Amino acid sequence: MKRYAYYLSCINESMTKEVDRSIDLWQKDLGIELIKLHEGTCCGGSNLEYVSPKHFALVNGRNIALAEKMGLDLIVSCNTCLMTIRTAKKKLDESPDLKKEINDILKKEGLEYRGTSEVRHLLWVLVDDVGLDTIREKVKVPLKNYRIAPFYGCHILRPSTVLGHDNPRDPSSLDQLIDALGGQTIPYIHKNRCCGFHTLLVAEQESLNVAAEALQEAIDSKADFIVTPCPLCHTSLDGYQSKALKHAGVDSSIPVFHLSEMIGLALGYSAKQLGIKRHIVS
Amino acid sequence: MTLPTDQHTEGKKNVTFRVFRFNPQVDSKPYFDDYTIPVEKGITVLRSLNYIKEHIDGSVSFRAFCQAGICGSCGMRVNGLSQLACTTQVWDVLAKSREPGIIKVEPLRNLPLIKDLIVDMDPLVDKMKRYSNWVDSTMPEAEMGKKEFLISEEEFLRYDKATDCILCASCVSECSILRANKEYVSPAVLLKSYRMSVDSRDSLHEQRLAELVKDHGVWDCTHCYRCQESCVKSIPIMDAIHGIREDAIESRGMKDTSGSKHAEAFMMDIEKKGKLVEATLPIRTNGVVWTMQNLLPMALKMIMKRRTPPPPPLVKSAKGIKIFRQMFREMTEHVKQDHKSHQ
Repeated sequence: MKRYAYYLSCINESMTKEVDRSIDLWQKDLGIELIKLHEGTCCGGSNLEYVSPKHFALVNGRNIALAEKMGLDLIVSCNTCLMTIRTAKKKLDESPDLKKEINDILKKEGLEYRGTSEVRHLLWVLVDDVGLDTIREKVKVPLKNYRIAPFYGCHILRPSTVLGHDNPRDPSSLDQLIDALGGQTIPYIHKNRCCGFHTLLVAEQESLNVAAEALQEAIDSKADFIVTPCPLCHTSLDGYQSKALKHAGVDSSIPVFHLSEMIGLALGYSAKQLGIKRHIVS
Repeated sequence: MTLPTDQHTEGKKNVTFRVFRFNPQVDSKPYFDDYTIPVEKGITVLRSLNYIKEHIDGSVSFRAFCQAGICGSCGMRVNGLSQLACTTQVWDVLAKSREPGIIKVEPLRNLPLIKDLIVDMDPLVDKMKRYSNWVDSTMPEAEMGKKEFLISEEEFLRYDKATDCILCASCVSECSILRANKEYVSPAVLLKSYRMSVDSRDSLHEQRLAELVKDHGVWDCTHCYRCQESCVKSIPIMDAIHGIREDAIESRGMKDTSGSKHAEAFMMDIEKKGKLVEATLPIRTNGVVWTMQNLLPMALKMIMKRRTPPPPPLVKSAKGIKIFRQMFREMTEHVKQDHKSHQ
């Protein structure tokens, strides 16, 4: 059983509780154990960085230091948390002065940021550590009847100087995972585009336009559902779906699944167990 | 020595350029023309287009000048990605082409089309004017030409990378928000605005910032990083956008716009609970009236699905919040000291 520290994203503790619930169901089936970091705090959601760069470094240096204390890599299941914490790691690793400044404060809690733990997305762990062959062997209900639109979201791909796992122009890890689960991916131009989430409260019309385009392509391509490794993209594409499509004059709908739910379905768990009924679009 | 035959064929390939065509004066709608030409390794997309224009079809229209990645004239989409034709190697593109042997060439997005691969740059220039994308000197007229305006290396480094921009408009073409609303300021103009605003010789800082925080300005960026990823000069454009926002919060306060209020909520919640209080985020960003008008129907659906975020008293603080809060406040003191020493 390979162990990891698991970062608790704010949205997965409030609106998208089904993400962590479904991961809890199947993690042991795939030979991984995710140990929840209850001491971890909000990463700042791609906003703290410019409100106060030093608080941003402290908060996320601490999040990583908590995993380092356990000697484990830090695993994240929200794209924006991933990008944010990895950005802080890069800044700390590149600036000895900043690292010293935050460590002088962190020692009050008996913590030290050393830079020894990697910060990784759950998708990367599944593809790189668990392995596609193992996943293929564990599948109980292949997703063979489904045409699936893989929506990666921005912050698992860009900026590539911070993320660097998939080619941001033509990502493939989620496609490979879908294939291992027996599903069929559709060619999907919006796979590496934006969901509009981060401006939903600031530039709503623009965000809805962005979401509607991604939804419409999946609908027009006759996909059975969209799958995303990011709960923020899910909120935009599922929660705001009817508003976005109405805004675009599209009279249709499409279900949107979390990565963790799609894996759960293929491993034989029911939609009810996985919390799929909590989605706005059924 | 004679090279083996396969190396000969490896050094030259027949490549089909599928070129977007549209002349609004004669065509009712756009179409593609295929031109198949022999291309040697080392040849760029621009040289291939020049060959097509000279030898096959003189009517193919595109803009180009320096052929060396300096002037920024030949921005276009090659296999869907906005880039400079003159610095893009045909063989590199071919290696990743979905359709073997075919390279699709299209005009940049998000700017009006003039003809074939040529877009109208005027909307971009108009925005550069609107957001005062130049330095208006703080030096009195009488002193001009009489003394030097010295810039420290530390200051220069703040905008060194931003000055690399050649206005090729690749970032403009890739921008998610501009695609949704053509009024949006655009990444290139935000980058130029940042470059001018951090220049100590400039006197337009307040005026420029006042324009940048209005609707369709700096707060409308959705952090998709497509601009930065497509930049032909590898400029960290998002750093400039973050820089303008940091400047806006520092100069104009955190209650200035819905964007700054939204950002402030993160800072406050982290200090208080270590967790974001999502239930009140819309109200704190846009007020009660906006929230009721815009989010009520969705909130009702969320209640039905038990999907609503918990109200503030029910948001559990992160474990060990007391010591975290002390450390957070200690950093606040550091930041205050930094500000004092910079004044």
